[in-house]
Order: sequence, then C-alpha cells, then structure tokens
Amino acid sequence: MKITYNWLKEYVAFDLDPVELADMLTMLGLEVEAMEPVGQGMDDVVVARVLEKRPHPNADKLSLCKVDNGVEVLDVVCGASNFSQGDTVVLAQTGATLPGNFKIKRSKIRGEESCGMLCSEKELGLADESAGIMVLAGSLPLGTPVFDALGIKDTIFEIGLTPNRADCLSSIGIAREIAAKLGTTIRYPETECKESDTPVEAKITVTVDASDLCPRYAARYISGCRIAPSPEWLVSRLTVLGIRSINNVVDVTNLVMMELGQPLHAFDCAQLAGQSIVVRRATEGELFVTLDSQSRQLTAADLVICDAERPVALAGIMGGENSEISADTTTILLESAQFQPISIRKTSKRLGLHTESSHRFERGIDREGVLNALNRAARLIAELSGGVVAKGYLDVAAEMVAPAPILFRPERANALIGSNLTGDQMARLLSCLGCTVEPTVTGALQVAPPSYRVDIEREIDLVEEVARLNGFSTIEATMPVAQVVSDRPTAHQSLEKRVRDLLVAAGMHEVINFSFTAPGMADRLLLDEQDPRRSSIGLLNPLMVEHSIMRTSLLPGILETVSRNMSFRSLDLRLFEMRRIYLPQAGEDMPHEPLCITGAITGSRDGDSWTGSGATLDFYDAKGILEFILSNLSITKVTWVADNPEPYYHPGVSCSFMAGAVRLGSVGELHPVVLDNFSLEKPVYCFEIDFDALLKVAGSSVEITAPSRFPDSTRDIAVLVPTDMSAEKIVDCVRSVKAKEIEDVSIFDVYVGKGIPDGCKSIAVRIRYRSYERTLTDEEVEAIHGKIIANLINKLKVSVR
Amino acid sequence: MREQLEQLKHEALAAIEAGGTEEAFQEVRVRFLGRKGELTALMKGLGSLSPEERPLVGQLVNTVKDEIESRLGLALEAAAAKARTIRLESEKIDVTLPGRAPAKGTKHPVSLVIEEVCDIFAGLGFSVAEGPEIEHDWYNFEALNFPPEHPARDMQDTFFVDNNLLLRTHTSPVQIRTMLQRKPPVRIIAPGTVYRCDSDATHSPMFHQIEGLMVDRNIAFSDLKGILTVFTNQLFGQNTGVRLRPSFFPFTEPSAEVDIACVICGGKGCRVCKQSGWLEILGAGMVDPEVFRHVGYDAEDISGFAFGMGIERIAMLKYGISDMRLLFENDIRFLRQF
Repeated sequence: MKITYNWLKEYVAFDLDPVELADMLTMLGLEVEAMEPVGQGMDDVVVARVLEKRPHPNADKLSLCKVDNGVEVLDVVCGASNFSQGDTVVLAQTGATLPGNFKIKRSKIRGEESCGMLCSEKELGLADESAGIMVLAGSLPLGTPVFDALGIKDTIFEIGLTPNRADCLSSIGIAREIAAKLGTTIRYPETECKESDTPVEAKITVTVDASDLCPRYAARYISGCRIAPSPEWLVSRLTVLGIRSINNVVDVTNLVMMELGQPLHAFDCAQLAGQSIVVRRATEGELFVTLDSQSRQLTAADLVICDAERPVALAGIMGGENSEISADTTTILLESAQFQPISIRKTSKRLGLHTESSHRFERGIDREGVLNALNRAARLIAELSGGVVAKGYLDVAAEMVAPAPILFRPERANALIGSNLTGDQMARLLSCLGCTVEPTVTGALQVAPPSYRVDIEREIDLVEEVARLNGFSTIEATMPVAQVVSDRPTAHQSLEKRVRDLLVAAGMHEVINFSFTAPGMADRLLLDEQDPRRSSIGLLNPLMVEHSIMRTSLLPGILETVSRNMSFRSLDLRLFEMRRIYLPQAGEDMPHEPLCITGAITGSRDGDSWTGSGATLDFYDAKGILEFILSNLSITKVTWVADNPEPYYHPGVSCSFMAGAVRLGSVGELHPVVLDNFSLEKPVYCFEIDFDALLKVAGSSVEITAPSRFPDSTRDIAVLVPTDMSAEKIVDCVRSVKAKEIEDVSIFDVYVGKGIPDGCKSIAVRIRYRSYERTLTDEEVEAIHGKIIANLINKLKVSVR
Repeated sequence: MREQLEQLKHEALAAIEAGGTEEAFQEVRVRFLGRKGELTALMKGLGSLSPEERPLVGQLVNTVKDEIESRLGLALEAAAAKARTIRLESEKIDVTLPGRAPAKGTKHPVSLVIEEVCDIFAGLGFSVAEGPEIEHDWYNFEALNFPPEHPARDMQDTFFVDNNLLLRTHTSPVQIRTMLQRKPPVRIIAPGTVYRCDSDATHSPMFHQIEGLMVDRNIAFSDLKGILTVFTNQLFGQNTGVRLRPSFFPFTEPSAEVDIACVICGGKGCRVCKQSGWLEILGAGMVDPEVFRHVGYDAEDISGFAFGMGIERIAMLKYGISDMRLLFENDIRFLRQF
C-alpha cells in the first residue's frame, strides 16, 4: 500500500518529518517497508519552454532545441519527437542528478553542444514507462523546479499492511491512525455534490437479486460529461501511487478508492440496456469479457453486475469491455457497493484476477462509507468532466442489524498486557480509535467499534488496540512466574543429538538437502520394481519437476551433493545427512516420517598431508565410522552380514549390520552403475542407519569390569586360510576356547602376496592373556595357546604358519 | 700405605680431571674403585698393618673412597648433562609442518543454530516438541484461526499433497498438537523444517523455524517481552536492543514483530538492516482465544504466548552469510568453516 507524506497532511495535522512519521507508523503496526523521496534534491530540474526545434544536422532521430529556462536560452539536443515548438517541458540542467544517480553534464552529441536534457516521466522516476518527454501545462512558471511547480515534491511510503487492516487500505485510513495516535482529528474530504432537478429514479434502476453476496449497492447518475485527460494534479497523484492515468472519470474512481478505500466503478450509461442494473449470480458457463479484453468463463458462484440483458461487470473485481468509459461517453452510472468478501475472493482466485478492487472487497470495506465515496466521486467527476449529477442516489441495502457492543474488562486487559492502565485511560485510547465507549456499573466498558474496523469483533481485539495505541514500548519486560516442571529430552531427542555429535567427531560434515526430489530417483538407485521406496508422496503444486516428490531415501540427495562437490574439484568428502524421509502408509492418511542417517565418503584418507600415506578411503573406513558410533553408544555385539543388502551397492563390498536380531542398517561401496547415474567419477562408500532401530538397541546400561592388576602375556598366530574365509570365523574359533585368561583377540595383519599360495590369505591374530588372580606363567599361557592352535587346525582346517 | 693412599687419591682425581666423557669416567671408576681396582688392591694390604694403625688407615681408605666417589659422581652428572645438551641441540624439528590431526567434522549451521536456541530455552525450562512435516490443513491453518478463504492464508504460499494434506508452512501446528496432548502448564520449543512455495535469493522453498509456546495461569504480554529479551541477549550478546512492534498473525493477539538492533551496524543503519537500524528476527504474540477454544483450553482461566523465528535468518546474521542458497548447496568449502 502506497501513501505519500503530502497527501496525509491534507487530512491530518502533524509536526513530524517523513522519517519520524515512518517510525510512528511502523510502531503502530503499519510497517513502512520503504521510503522513496520524490523530486527531492532535484532543484536543477526545471520548467522550460521550447523556443525553437530543428533537425540535428548529423542524426535523423535527434533534434536541436533552443530552450528558455526563464533566465537564459540554452542549446539542448533531444531524441524524442512528441513535442513541438512552444511546448512547456522539463529541463534537467547541467549539474542535476536524476534517479539512478544519472548526472547531467554539458556534452557534445554528434558534434552539437547540449547543455542539459529534456526529461520523460520515466527519467524523473514518475512512471515505469513513458513514450517521449513530459509535456507540461503551458501555465507553469519557467525556471521553477518542476517538482515544486507540480506540487509533487514528496515522500512515498510503501506500507506492508497485515491482512487484518482493511481499514488502512486508503489514505484516510492511515490518516485516521495518525490522528488516533496524536489525539487529533481528521479533515475529511468534501463530499457534497451539486445536483440537478432530475431525480435519479427517472434515469436508472437498480435491482439486487443476490443480496447475500451484495449487501449494499448504491448508484448515482451523471450526465453531460466530457471525457478528457485528467488534470496534472490527478495524474501525478495517481502516478506516485503506481496507478496509470486513463481519463478524468476512471481516474476519479481510482483516486477515491485510494483516498477512502471504497472501490468504485463507472459505467457508460448509454451502453446499459434498459438503463438498469441487476446484481445476480452468473449462470454456469456464462462468458464475459473483462476490461482487459480477456474472455472469462463464469460459474454460478460468481456475482455479476448486469444491465437488462447481459453482464456488464464482474462484481467487485473488474468491469466489462462492453460498458467501459470511452471517449464518446457522456452519461455515467457510478457504482459504490459492498460485496461479500469470501465470494469475491473465490472468484478472484479461480480466475487468477487480483485487482485493487478485489483486494479491498475480500478484506472487507466500510459499509457506512459506501455513500460517502459515491458522493465524493460524483462531486469530482462533475467538477472535472463538466457533468451534471442527477438528484439523489439509489441505495439497495439489505437489512443489517448493528452488532452488539463488545464488553471490555479493563482488568482483563491489564492482566493480558501486563500493564497498569486505568479504565479511563483505556476508554480514551479506544475513543481515539473511533470507538463509542459506554461505562457500565461493574467498571467494564461497552465498546462499539467504528464501522470501518471490520476486524474488531471480540474483547481480545480491543485489548490489542489498547496495547497497540498506547505503544508496545511502554510495556515493561517481566519474567513469567511459572510452575517447575520436569521434562528432560526424550530418548529420541537425546540419541539424535548424540549420534550427530559422534558423526561430527568421526570427521563427517553434516549436509541438509531438500526434502523433495525428482521422479526417477528410484531408477537411478537401481531399486527393484517391488521396492517400497518406489512409492512416494507427490506434491500437487511443485515449483519444478526436480522438486515434485517427497524423498523416500536420503541417498539420492547426498549423492547429488557429492557429485556437485566433485564438479568443483573437492574430491575428499566425508558427508552425512540426518533427516526425515516420507513414506506413505497403507490405511493411514498421514505418511510415516522416520529419521534416517546416511553417510557418503570418498577420496583420500589423509588429504594431501605430508604425513599421509596417500591411501584412499575404502569400505573399512565407512565401516570404521559405524563401529566408532556403535561402540560409543555401547552397542557392542554387532554382526556384519554380507547379504548383498541393497541393489545400489557393490554386491561383494557391502553388508548389513545387526545388533542381535535388529537390523541397524547397511554399508557398502556404491555400485558402478549408480556411480555413473549420479556422475560420480571416484568410488564412493556409503552407509545408512535406521534411526528407530538404533533407538531400540541404544541406551542399555554399561557394565564396567575393574582392570586386572597383573601383567599380560601376548602371543601371535598367523594362519593361512582360503581367501573367502571371514576373519570373524577365525576370531570366533579362537574365542571358542572358553578360558577366562583370554583378555583380547585382535587381527593385526591380513596379507596376500609373495609367499602365500593362490586362493589363500594369511591372517595374523594377536591374543592377549591375563589373569585377575596372579601373574600367568609361560606354562599356563602355552597350555591355553596350544588349545587355540589345535582348535584352529582341527575345526577350521587351516594351517598355522 | 698412607703415602700410597695419598698417591692413589692424587692419581684418581687427576684422571677425573682429565676425563671428559661418560665412558672415560666409567673407566676411572673401574680402574680405582672396581672389584679389581687399585683401591681394592691397596685395601688388601690393611691386614698387614698393626691393630692400632688398622682402624686409622681403614678410615683414611674410606675417606679417599668417598672423595673419589663424590668427585666422580659430579663429573658423571656434568658429562651426562653436557651430552644431553648436545643431543637436544642436534634434535631440532620443523614445528611449522602440520600435525597429524584427526579429521574435523562439522554440524550444518542450521543444526548449530537449532541446538543453540534450544539450549537457551532449555535453561528457561522449555522442552523440545516435534510434529509431522506433512500435516493436515486443520492443524496448519484452521486450528490456528486461519479460516478457509481467509486472506491471511495468502501470507503463506502452500505446497499441497492433496485436499487435506499439505507441507506445513510453519512450525505452529506443533502448538496445536502439544496442547491437544497435554494440560497446562505448557512450555515447549519446537524446531523443524517448513515449506513454502517460494524461491529466490532470500526465500527457499524449504527452510527451518523454531516455535515457542508458554501457557500457564497469569501469563502476560510483558512476560513475552521479558523472555524474548533474555533470549536475544543470550543469542546475540548482552544489551542487544530489542523492540516489539504491532503486527498480525491469526493465531496470536496482540501480535508483534520482534526486531533486534542491527548486529552488523549496531543500529546506525546499513545495507543489511535497510538503513533502519533494526532487524526483524521473529514473530510473536499472546495465544488467540480462538486457538485455545480449538484445543479445549479455557481462555478465561489460562493465557499464554507463542513465538516463531526463522533459523536461516538467524544463521545468516550470526555467520554473516549473504545468500540463503549457500545453506542448501552443501559445498564442502562452505560447510568446513563451521
């Protein structure tokens, strides 16, 4: 909503500069989002007259002008052609700075001297587009700064209005707020119009057949109008508000709408069959051409304004091409009405037709202001077009019961605000806002809000008004007095934080990808046709097809992130994402949104460090991250099962991992086809953790054993085994010797190569022996160790080297 | 014998004097004090002395022995110290070479801000609540006093899943879900992902909010001001200016936008705060009685406040990020810095 400083001054007296005024409006809840000075610091842009205009000798499209600025005659080269000798124009003299920091300098254009520039509305910041330079009324004094001469030196405020403040969609509305805050009064614009003796009833009729959608319809009749361009003051006022000038009649309807907030419409009465207006619902499928030349198909829910035969306007939204004001119009039917907000909103939304008029009607206009706006516009149209207003007006209004006054309890208001105002102070604040306030015996107040405040219906609305007008800054900051409640984080929340901390401690970087993804991700992941992750939730109105379905896996997002980073030559990556996925649930209307964890690592293990081995990350780095997390969560009995868990992994370099019977997730090298599908140039190792499964097994209490105080004894064994024998099998075999002296079994080397037969590998196992009771003797250790070796040879049929 | 002892002592001390290295001193020890050393050999002659002389010479032998021992000890210590100094001087590394650091990991800035905000509110007795991101229209709009066809719905461009389900446009539905589950008092903070049909340099179709809700007896708007002042001072530093100005949200009344003094220019006016000196960081207000009616609370008996803030906005201010898109591009060169 745009409003100007000068315009506000016409309605209310205040002693504030534009910055102070903006601050006051903002603190009243009418946020000034931008302030734009008009014509300020542009005193070198003056009114001038073209004394002579002749073609430029060296350019077809330019002309040489001699221009009188009231003091001297200057040579100016001009590219526009829409003016002639004798016209009054706008001259930006050398030294002037136009909007956009465009400095005017003395220059030579194609060899001819130019001491300034003749300006268009666009160049002055008065219009978004203009054809040619601005030609002014001849009566303006030469040499006067043009913004002074036109009276448009001003400040435009752009106000971000909240949807509840329909009453402020007008300059009078904003002025009312200023007056309320300052405790002063408003000067309302003149609305009295001179009428002829012809009664309006003799000229036009109005019938409302849908009073539920049109509670009030008022009209006046004006004859003898001359349609002409609007005077300069009207054009410039509309221009600063961002409204294009059309003609003197249409401009008045727009001006009064911006002034009083009441949308108006002027019909060419000669085009109205039967000189009558009928307000009715459209018939299903009815076609209607609006002012913008678009043919609209209507439904029975839409409201139309018709003449005796056909629709002539889409009620409250836009007029029709068939009855618009044209150059030949002489008689006018002027409409000022109230339409039902929801109906206007539905039609406007369905047709995608949002106008200044529909914007106001769907928020609710002032029912009591309908006639006022009608009279104000009729007066101005008569004044500007020379028309004659017929006597009286038509006013078809449905019976309206005035809403009951609202009971307002000052002590309740103080309790909610935390203030300490007296009932009298609150009554005064509400009166300033235009409310009628009556005291009652209980100390409560009976408050009737003004008709333009359609948003005030309840006591709480009045509480807000009191707090707002008195100023939020006057409210002291206090700390609430509240009960102590015990409410520690849930197990889910604690584990989520703990796992995120552990992943970070493991050197991983957290990423956040969009929850929506592109169709076809399941194919890129090589998922089976029956895979439940193929069934996803789609959006009805996505911004783009790449963001049209809710993800069922975190993997595509993180792989695209890896790919994007690789394209920037960031090749060493350890990324994880810990977010929700969205799975449709059969028989439930709400989807399931489980938390998932996915990691992806690729590149070198130690970066480019001089201490590094230059080795690249592999499966065991990914597995190691999982082991680090699981052991930190005290989940110790984990099994790793090479069950080819997912189609997107390398079948031989992937596994599931379980805690008992609970499957926790999977880890593996990405399948080469998937690498290609995501344009990944290097091997990538991924893992996925099912958070809910983790939650089931995490958090069991930890049992601590006190360390033994006796020395240990270690023995190493190297066994030669077939390549496909798992290390786990060997460790299990060692452990199967149930001796409490076996403190630890670790694999410290796996070797394939020189000296090892084909199809075999050497696995080196270190066993640490220790007793809780005494220092073990060599004989005791050897006895157990011998059993272990015998077991390995007998049970696993391996050779011990 | 006495002369021999004197002679021996003299020779031993001279040898110590002449020594220098640890090895040389060890040789001196062996030569004079060893089992087959000169002093031992000399002591064998003690037996041939008279009983009167024997204790006196014996004493003298001990004195000489002690003297040699102590001089030798000092000399050895000095030699060891010297050798150590030489070794330490020769062992010099380049401390400017990088160390073997464990790989550094980072949390996403959005997670960092969520954790920090939740921590501050945990200290004020607020617990964390969560809710679904794919939400019913009723929880997201109607129960929050956005009637169907109300212009306030235009404030939030919505992604729809079907007629009834949508991607939540704010974390406020968590208020409704929480109040339907519990009786007052309620003190929750609800971080989460939200969605709006909007995308440019300052809008992302997916972003994050944190919602706060406190409901109890006798909660006033002034308490909201108090809590938010404490919060902003903890998040942005003590004495950060805070101002509340009237605004509108369907689910609160009175409603306020909360501004802090611009953290970039300190309130003098800069590009970030559009010369106003203030930065809008959250929306807040007293819970509207209509919302209490929807969840079955008695608005005459209890009152409460709610507030909500955009995490990305706070992250951008805290870390000086100028383009919101950086937060979701996940460039490792960006993430690594947190």
